[in-house]
Amino acid sequence: MPDPTRSLPSWAAGVADGLDALGCRDVVYVPDNPLSQILEALRAWHAGFRTLTATREEEAVGIAAGLCLGGKQPALLMQSSGVGNTLNAVGSLLLAYQIPALFIVSMRGDAGEWNSAQVPMGRSLRGVLDAFGIQHLTVERDEEARATVLAAGQLAFGTRVPVACLLPRRLTVPVEGGRG
Amino acid sequence: MTRFEAIGVLCRQLSDEPVVASLGHPAYELFAHGDRALNFYTWGSMGLSTSIALGVALAHPNRRVIALDGDGSLLMNLGSLATIGACRPSNLVVLVLDNEAYGTTGGQPTATSGEADIEAAARALGIRRTASARDAHALGDALQESLAEAGPWVIVAKVTESGPTAKPPLDCVAIKNRFMGELGGQRAVSR
Repeated sequence: MPDPTRSLPSWAAGVADGLDALGCRDVVYVPDNPLSQILEALRAWHAGFRTLTATREEEAVGIAAGLCLGGKQPALLMQSSGVGNTLNAVGSLLLAYQIPALFIVSMRGDAGEWNSAQVPMGRSLRGVLDAFGIQHLTVERDEEARATVLAAGQLAFGTRVPVACLLPRRLTVPVEGGRG
Repeated sequence: MTRFEAIGVLCRQLSDEPVVASLGHPAYELFAHGDRALNFYTWGSMGLSTSIALGVALAHPNRRVIALDGDGSLLMNLGSLATIGACRPSNLVVLVLDNEAYGTTGGQPTATSGEADIEAAARALGIRRTASARDAHALGDALQESLAEAGPWVIVAKVTESGPTAKPPLDCVAIKNRFMGELGGQRAVSR
């Protein structure tokens, strides 16, 4: 059961549900505050998930690619800034070899950001993904999370391409007087 | 011991172990020793062969999985050893072909030509089963032990440049499909 002192947001529960429904059992992760709530939801409500913390996002892509080669359907959880660290691996490993990947990306640098250093990578992320030909879906509301993750995963693992599921800060970061 | 000789020592001990080879000379010389479906040759993503092998090892815990890495490549992703030291997959063997140079790009020296010691780094990052080998006999003994006893293992083979004579096929998708087919990793997508 989850920590009773902390209620998990429904977007995080939805992402966890979507990963489970997809048949994903491995999560390769580079730490981030909102994303940790997905891991909490997996621990609380879904049995049999294995989580591995990587030291860098490019490394995470390599580990996830190896899991795919071994027949698994892993998820990659990272911040948008970290996607910038993965680009050569995305090109020369995932795209060149047609290895699928499901990126669950916690956005930095979008509406609600307070740190200017996060903005250049965050605001260009969709353009960078477009330049690589990588389809991306944005979860705008809590109730879309499960279906969006499931659809992104089916596209990724069914057609052997990388796909990104973007979680904007408006969704993931509680605002005083607004989302709790 | 040349790098080609070191890879030969490995190949003579292989049966059904998947091998993930770093791009450039390690992959070229693995191919030159005899192509096999369970060889995954990378053509890019420098630094990731050990991480890819870790993923394969986690997916197939009952098989020995071998990463064939280079010193320059591993130094690009030294964090991978910390991850392996933390999650300790007992079936992973990382063989580092340490020629103290970026052989594929023209032989520029790496840090291991000076004070850097990859075996010591592996131990410091939590990997308990390690070895360094300077000749074929010592390498053969270390590999034999690593294929029989629980790891994870990091074995550093100190090698000299040998000059590859062949290259694996350039069709990345064919390399992958053949590897997955042999590994038994292909499966239907969940719906």
